[in-house]
Amino acid sequence: MSQEFRLKDIGLIKRNKKISFKFNGKKYQGYEGDTLASALLANGVHLVGRSFKYHRPRGFFGAGADEPYAVVQLYRDGETEPNIKATEQELFEGLEAKSVNCWPSVNFDIGAINNILKIFLPAGFYYKTFMWPKSFWYKVYEPFIRKAAGLGVASTKHDKERYEHKYEYCDLLIAGSGPSGLSSAYAAAKNGAKVILAEDKSRFGGSLLTSDVNIGNQSGKNWAEKIIAELKDMPNVIVKNRSQIFGYYDHNMLVMSEKISDHLPKTKKYHPNKKLWYIRAKEVLISSGSIERPIVFGNNDTPGVMLSSAAKEYMKVYGVLVGKKPLVFTNNDSGYETAIEFKKNGIDPIVLDSRENPASEIVDEAKNLGLNIKFSYVVVAAKGYKKVKSADIALISKDKKKLGKIENINCDCICVSGFWTPTIHLASQSGNKTKFDDNIDAFIPGKSKQNETTLGAANGVFSLKETLKTSFEAGNNLSKKITNIENKVSIPNIVEKKYSKHDKFWCVPLPKGKNYKRFLDFQNDVSVSDIELALREGYRSIEHVKRYTTLGMATDQGKTSNLNGLQLVSDIENKVVPSVGHTTFRPPYTPISIGAIVGREIGKHSKPTRKSPMHSWHEKNNAIFVDAGVWLRPRYYKKGDENLFEASKREAKNVRTNVGVCDVTTLGKIDIKGPDAAEFLNRVYTNAWLKLPVGKARYGVMLREDGIVMDDGTTTRISENHYHMTTTTAQAANVLSHLEYYLQLVWPELNVNVVSTTEQWAGAAIAGPNSRNLLKKLFPNNDVSNENLPFMGFMEGDLFGVKTRIFRISFSGELAYELNVESDYGKFMWEKIVELGEEFKIQPYGTEALSTLRIEMGHVAGSELDGRTIPYDNALEGLVSKKKDFIGKRSLQRLAFVAKDRQRIVGVVPIDKKTNIPEGSHLVKDAKASLPNKKLGHISASCWSVEYDNPFSLAILKDGKNMIGEKLFVMSPLKNKIIPVEIVSSHYVDPKGERVRS
Amino acid sequence: MLYIKCPHCGMRSQNEFSYGGDASVKRPELNKEISDQEWDNFVYNRKSLRGKHWELWQHLSGCRQWIKVQRDTATHEIFNTLKAEEEIN
Amino acid sequence: MQNYSIFSLIKNAFSNHEKWDLAWKDPSPKKEYDVVIIGGGGHGLATAYYLAKEHQITNVAIIEKGWIGGGNVGRNTTIIRSNYMHDDNGLFSEFGMDLWRRMSQDLNYNVMFSPRGIINLAHSDAQMNVYARRGNSMRLNGIDAVLLNREQVQEIIPMADFSENVRFPIFGGLMQPSAGTARHDAVAWGYARQADSMGVDIIQNCEVIGFDVSAGKITGVRTSRGDIKAKKIGLCVAGSTNILAEKLNMRLPIETHLLQACVSEPVKPVLDKVVTFGAGHFYISQSDKGEMVMGGDLDGYNSYAQRGNLPTLQHVLTEGIAMMPFLSKLKMLRTWGGIMDMSMDGSPIIDKTHIEGLYLNCGWCYGGFKATPASGWTFAHTIAQDKVHKLNAGYSLNRFNTGHLLDEKGLGTKTWIS
Repeated sequence: MSQEFRLKDIGLIKRNKKISFKFNGKKYQGYEGDTLASALLANGVHLVGRSFKYHRPRGFFGAGADEPYAVVQLYRDGETEPNIKATEQELFEGLEAKSVNCWPSVNFDIGAINNILKIFLPAGFYYKTFMWPKSFWYKVYEPFIRKAAGLGVASTKHDKERYEHKYEYCDLLIAGSGPSGLSSAYAAAKNGAKVILAEDKSRFGGSLLTSDVNIGNQSGKNWAEKIIAELKDMPNVIVKNRSQIFGYYDHNMLVMSEKISDHLPKTKKYHPNKKLWYIRAKEVLISSGSIERPIVFGNNDTPGVMLSSAAKEYMKVYGVLVGKKPLVFTNNDSGYETAIEFKKNGIDPIVLDSRENPASEIVDEAKNLGLNIKFSYVVVAAKGYKKVKSADIALISKDKKKLGKIENINCDCICVSGFWTPTIHLASQSGNKTKFDDNIDAFIPGKSKQNETTLGAANGVFSLKETLKTSFEAGNNLSKKITNIENKVSIPNIVEKKYSKHDKFWCVPLPKGKNYKRFLDFQNDVSVSDIELALREGYRSIEHVKRYTTLGMATDQGKTSNLNGLQLVSDIENKVVPSVGHTTFRPPYTPISIGAIVGREIGKHSKPTRKSPMHSWHEKNNAIFVDAGVWLRPRYYKKGDENLFEASKREAKNVRTNVGVCDVTTLGKIDIKGPDAAEFLNRVYTNAWLKLPVGKARYGVMLREDGIVMDDGTTTRISENHYHMTTTTAQAANVLSHLEYYLQLVWPELNVNVVSTTEQWAGAAIAGPNSRNLLKKLFPNNDVSNENLPFMGFMEGDLFGVKTRIFRISFSGELAYELNVESDYGKFMWEKIVELGEEFKIQPYGTEALSTLRIEMGHVAGSELDGRTIPYDNALEGLVSKKKDFIGKRSLQRLAFVAKDRQRIVGVVPIDKKTNIPEGSHLVKDAKASLPNKKLGHISASCWSVEYDNPFSLAILKDGKNMIGEKLFVMSPLKNKIIPVEIVSSHYVDPKGERVRS
Repeated sequence: MLYIKCPHCGMRSQNEFSYGGDASVKRPELNKEISDQEWDNFVYNRKSLRGKHWELWQHLSGCRQWIKVQRDTATHEIFNTLKAEEEIN
Repeated sequence: MQNYSIFSLIKNAFSNHEKWDLAWKDPSPKKEYDVVIIGGGGHGLATAYYLAKEHQITNVAIIEKGWIGGGNVGRNTTIIRSNYMHDDNGLFSEFGMDLWRRMSQDLNYNVMFSPRGIINLAHSDAQMNVYARRGNSMRLNGIDAVLLNREQVQEIIPMADFSENVRFPIFGGLMQPSAGTARHDAVAWGYARQADSMGVDIIQNCEVIGFDVSAGKITGVRTSRGDIKAKKIGLCVAGSTNILAEKLNMRLPIETHLLQACVSEPVKPVLDKVVTFGAGHFYISQSDKGEMVMGGDLDGYNSYAQRGNLPTLQHVLTEGIAMMPFLSKLKMLRTWGGIMDMSMDGSPIIDKTHIEGLYLNCGWCYGGFKATPASGWTFAHTIAQDKVHKLNAGYSLNRFNTGHLLDEKGLGTKTWIS
């Protein structure tokens, strides 16, 4: 099909670059510089989709981001994307698109039955029905409704596009490159300010591209091109097209989404698809212009009804006629610009002006051109189903309540202009309390809230002269405050037409006996009768109206419907618009790609991965890793076809019988220095720290102020005023912040400094009866005998030239040591240990074996210290000093914490000594009791005891102290398990702790 | 994103900081006999009102200093920031 | 009151829907009520409904500063569940599940309760164990729960990330099949309509200025629309609790925080479960309209702003893509913020106070929506009988003093982290 609606010598498209594309399977041609919408219109295609609820035919209403209904499914480079606005999508070679929300096709859509049933489907109908029978909502009605709703289809494939983020700071951020944006940017740039100018369309210039004005003896369009070219050359200016500032956040942080590849058939190699800019601006100039308002009339959703400004843009920018028999319906002068443009292109439009006798330059011009103008006339209803075929029109009375005789006139499109609505989203998002301006019947920004200044049409100023004057001034004044430079630019001479007053009229009354749907929100199918119904039923707050009818909640967010909705509510409720108020503007201005918001932190990079210096050794030795926070730790080292259970049992057994080595680098480490360090530790930990000798370590427990255990670990006195604290892997960062909090805010009088050294040290635990023998080999120059390095002792050693901290501490309950070397020597240390340990049958062990070892010793870890337990619960009350005060002590006196039957850690052994006890099970007295069955406690950790070769678990049990020897049941309904068990001491192995001291 | 003036480092974006709650909450002195009410007021009870609010932030990814920030909880506007040792007046 | 049904809908269609009654009236406040409920949100409206229905107390006013349903009942992600570990939370919520299941019929208003199931994803064996502890506790409390392995999860939600290029692989999940979603506004409106029909006065645009307390007893409330005497007053204003507590010289274990949520553009059905991410904080479901409804972390500082910042949403959506990579190709359509009462143990308070006749319902954190019916029911009972019901006995105010805490997450008093 040829482009029969394409005009010859007008427009900004590149006529030498033809582009082929497909819509609903059919091939068409357009030009580079087209949007999908303009190219389809050039081919005479108006039917693009179906509406959300009634599945009525839908065409193009606008020419940009305000488009309420031309939403398509896009196919590009083997991928598909739902809900693309055809008016925003630039044409590229090979583009394919399909209509959404229709089946089997946009031409014949079964869902359109809703249009026939529409009298039964008013606003909120679903609240009143679908309730019987009870189970039918979820099983029958909802699936049906869900299938009918939702525009396009989401691909469930992984997105192969790349999205980037950029952080930027600037003096002036300018949103919109229309007349006000260009002039303010130019003035500010001349003053040396760092300027970012953002335009969401592909072309700069905004309204200058389509308006018939003269600036400095050239057309508005040429002036815009000249300014942009100059700005692009200035080093202090960033000019971005296809870039929308969609959110104004706190403290002058604005966010901009730059489309880099959407207009190309395929994203270029190494290029992102979109870039998200976080911009912190000193001053923000909002020059986002205005959007034309529709006038509401019967069947105003018929394809072929569109904004008059859009019709003009299709002609002037794209060289496309939206119809050959146009009807222009206006309540102000703007409609005449479109009408005159039609005339210039050889088409005779009919103009209906709701005004009685407007006196204005442009009306006179239209008269002189011989245009057919009918004053006090309105469109009552559009006729035609899939395309406008004619219009019912009538005279309207002065009070706009009575219609004259209905006449029908032929037309193939209706271009409607109901005056202009300033785009105040960004100002409102900044916190600006907007105000209603009676002169333009719309909201404009009030007093600036953050550093925002709204200019031009966005501020309700529709005169170009006034806009340029205020914008040059604003650009100049705001920038010179920042740069202290003033290079004043003289304001060019401007020729524009004077405008007369618009008509305060936005909704054509229904003729008697007619029941036309008059739509406000085109995508969500919200009509005048829906608003009336909501108000009739008492949904009177504008928020209730919005939520009950879904007005303004579609993907266009009500850009063309909200104000008409407000006007209607205020008319019916007999209130003025400002007292009805408007719903809140929230970011984003238009829907923003989630991929762009997220950026590069996806897949493996969604969170950092931390590895110990010995990681490559573990990998080489068949370690199976486990996530411990963001760390990767070896869980076990697989030998042959061992599974987790077999491998961890082998590793644990080897520790108990020979010697094992475990990577403990991930433990948090904090260096503590200062003369008051001992006093500080004494306040932080529950036990006493004032008398710890140099060269000794001590186990400590720290609480939160609410008495709950926060963390545990050992701290070693390295020298007089120097301590080395270890924390659990999980709590490392929290503990450091906690210590800093007390040092800086609560006890600043203490002379202590803390710093994290987690990354500075690589750590290896050597555990097992042979560990001292191995240590002797590792440190031939040091005396590591039991006498010189007793349990909880510390010394510095010489590991073949590498300075090593040797701590004699044990988590496994065996004779054990922990070695720390500077991280760079970690791998050296590890390999030395493995090499020299060979003769002692050393094996590396992972976290699973580590768990087994600590569980059968009754040592607590994260699963017991779960943010809900106090020292007593963990059998750690011996470490709670009665004499001194410490963080959280006061909370330990609370009723529940001192209850006689307080929960406490116990050991659990299955009666049959065979059945594994699943972690996360609960203990009950009676396994057959009716539900809810009273739970006495839960299994916190389970293992296979390598010492006794039977299952063993730890549990936190109510009145655990008095439950030793009791027989209970472990229940795991999730795993269908009921296991008779006996309660034993949590210290299952070596209860006296002799091994660690051996 | 908030823009917070660290008294040590200057203007920094919020993602360098971590929040620390109401700065007017004072920990009772160690070893001092106090009532349950006083203790609960310290551990649990908060005013958390609309309007100006003194609160703690830690410049976690910067100088690691805890600072006091006066911010409006309704508008998020920041009026003042102080070092840890400076008293709120 | 008109009955809503397919028949009334058809009947009214033929009179152009011009004969529908007001869903609720718009009365001026009377001088005195037996009970005044402050707060016309879901909980306040439900409380008034159950006062009238269960306790035959109908001389009741709900006073609301703005418009009913304008607070968190209209700003949540509509998730309904009872998958709690602690008995008090589990049994309370499961009682609520029963009320949810018959709410549309009880209220003669379709609240679209959709028991589609919720899955909490687990990303390690340790997390599976933590979930098992909660799931077993649920089962022992008579609440449905299923532990799923990786393959079972993949069968139900194949669009989650089961690829190799994943930071935290899915190990399995805990599912509560009977959990689901409901249409949030409808809950507020349905309760309002029934409460109104039983004689409750719903008074909007009525702001509380102060309280009258004499001899330790509440006697009335002063409002922007005049003084109202009341024998009993129930405070039901989560999000503004601290502001009203200040007027009563009370300090509560609550901080006020901001939580954002967002929806994508509507797409055809792709996800029919509620799913939460286990290696962070992200939850998602797809609305009947087709929008993906998503939420996660608090903005993280005390706030009354109802407007948040993008980095929080960026963080939330990062976890979203980590869980379901296809979200990358969708667009974020709408964002909003709600103001939360963050209590110091993450669980709510429904209790009497030291002032006779004054009752407290607050501290819902971000679990308030699902609790609407059970909260209204138990609060009505507490007000009517002047004593707590066993279902809300655990939600006492003095548990913070006694240490009987209900901390599901074990995070303690740093409310902004949870």
